[in-house]
Amino acid sequence: MKLIRVNMSDKTIRVEDVPPEYRGLGGRGLTSIMINAEVPPKCDPLGPENKLIFAPGLLSGTVLPNTSRVSVGAKSPLTGGIKESNAGGTMGAALGRLGIAAVVVEGQAPEGELYFLRIDQNGEASLVPAQEYRGMRTYQLVEKILARYGEKTAVLCIGPAGEYKLAVASIQSSDTDGHPCRAAGRGGLGAVMGAKGLKALVVDQRGKSPDPVADPEAFKEAVKEVVRIVKADHMNAEVMPKLGTAGLVAPVNSMGAFPSYNARRGVLEGWENICGERMAEIIQERGGNPTHMGCSQCVVHCSNVFVDEQGKYVTSSLEYETIWAMGGMTGIADLDAIARLDNLCDDIGVDTMSTGVAIAVAMDAGYKEFGDAEAAIEMVEEIGRGTEFGRILGGGPVAVGKHFNHDRVPVVKGQSIAAYDPRAMQGHGVTFATSPMGADHTAGNVVGMYLQGLLDPLKPEGQVEASRFLQIAMAAFDTMGQCFMASVALLGPDGGEAFRRLLSAYLGTPLGPDDFPHALGVRVLKAEREFNRKAGFTKEDDRLPRFFYEEPLPPHNTVFLISDEELDSTFDF
Amino acid sequence: MKVRVNLYGTLRQRFPAYRPSEGIEVEVPEGATVRDLLSLLDIPQSQGAVVIVEGRVLKAEDKLRRGVPVNVLQAIGGG
Repeated sequence: MKLIRVNMSDKTIRVEDVPPEYRGLGGRGLTSIMINAEVPPKCDPLGPENKLIFAPGLLSGTVLPNTSRVSVGAKSPLTGGIKESNAGGTMGAALGRLGIAAVVVEGQAPEGELYFLRIDQNGEASLVPAQEYRGMRTYQLVEKILARYGEKTAVLCIGPAGEYKLAVASIQSSDTDGHPCRAAGRGGLGAVMGAKGLKALVVDQRGKSPDPVADPEAFKEAVKEVVRIVKADHMNAEVMPKLGTAGLVAPVNSMGAFPSYNARRGVLEGWENICGERMAEIIQERGGNPTHMGCSQCVVHCSNVFVDEQGKYVTSSLEYETIWAMGGMTGIADLDAIARLDNLCDDIGVDTMSTGVAIAVAMDAGYKEFGDAEAAIEMVEEIGRGTEFGRILGGGPVAVGKHFNHDRVPVVKGQSIAAYDPRAMQGHGVTFATSPMGADHTAGNVVGMYLQGLLDPLKPEGQVEASRFLQIAMAAFDTMGQCFMASVALLGPDGGEAFRRLLSAYLGTPLGPDDFPHALGVRVLKAEREFNRKAGFTKEDDRLPRFFYEEPLPPHNTVFLISDEELDSTFDF
Repeated sequence: MKVRVNLYGTLRQRFPAYRPSEGIEVEVPEGATVRDLLSLLDIPQSQGAVVIVEGRVLKAEDKLRRGVPVNVLQAIGGG
């Protein structure tokens, strides 16, 4: 268990044992608790005092499948608060196999300098000058990195948007095919990486020094049981491998909760053209791959490879949130256009969600018509070229709203909402409002409870409790490095018990029902909220934009109904 | 009475001739419930089927109504 601290100001690299206060943590738990302890809350997110932390999950690098998530943490230039954004692909497992708990990037390289941080098969880290890669888009960059360091290399990198330090800049993660198509997209962490002078983290995937498991036999047995539960879940057995997360387009539109035309309506006209069912058909017809393994050690295969009419690669894993932001919010009911926009965002290195919503705000303000795909593509290209308008768009929905003096900006703490309208799915409103991350799609996603009929999405009752339960559970699972799909399957009592057995065997400490996910999740959320408080956030920041309370959303014509007092009770612990 | 059923998720694969533009028409007795419909369509519980009518998720004992199309989908926990 080691930390690698890299100082970009003086180019020193130190390797430390993980101090006792960080032991038993990984992923989001580690990045958030470290940032709260080590980053001055009022610092400039793009200055030398901020730290950029890459942490595989606690269980990344073990034999447990679906644990190749890497968390990236820092103070966010988009929200001004704490940020953890995690990505799949190959990096989580690569760092885990080397026994690296976190890479902490500190300081700031002098203006004009650019580096790769390379970690070899033995876990040795070095800074490599990378001037010749300046301005390079991510697909070309990763191709060159793999040619230079070998195919068995995991990459996290930024594109031009990160170098421009734009607030929607993402950190792109290479998948099992070496495409930088997975992203730690949210919160502008690509801008923090750009500000540090770091173009890419380049890690050998062949490490053989993972942290030891305390009770290997018990762990192996527990893994079998966890995998059995994950695979038995119909979502992972049926829907994810065949439709991926795009399978949500139909249910959420059917429930009238798909924020469309900058959240003016809850159903997108022509949504059947961009739903997961149609996407899978198109991919099949053209010879793409609807059941793709995007991440190391995955047994779910929720990814896909979308190809054009000639069968040529366009993008990998066209996801629900991207289809919504680039399709629903913009009124572009055309999968080919959405796939092109997805590829462009990955290549330039911007978050598809914040970018799609920023485009939607511009369209809503009258800059372009809803549904104009060519205009949307040109707008994203402007980000890549770094034009004046491109930099405004790259500042995110709030910056675009200010530019056009337009107040229908669907964000919380500066970060765009996700693909569930809080007026028709009230619990998502609770999560959007209260998550320390700003509005978020994984932090406490209630949609499953609505679809299972456990909760009425239009009524205020029970929403705070549902959001609280899920926010705590996800904060704990995000600490493990396990993906959302597997984690959701383990939320029930059997899954929780099986996972606790596994974690007990890993740590060599018996865990009780309150220890995981509850106690761990609460610990992580408390650290995140403490950082935000010190950064200047108050309960007034745990609110939705006015229009969600005032403007009824068709077809249900409902508004957001949860009172401020109820929102403030979400973290009564 | 006849009910128009639209299928989503992987449920379409259970009906090889299914065409999304047409859905399927199912004859159910007056007063038939969601449970009756799923049983008639031979969709087992393990499929996680969800019935949505006019934007609302129905419960197993809810009755179907004449002339109101029914969407049968699958529960997903997010993404």
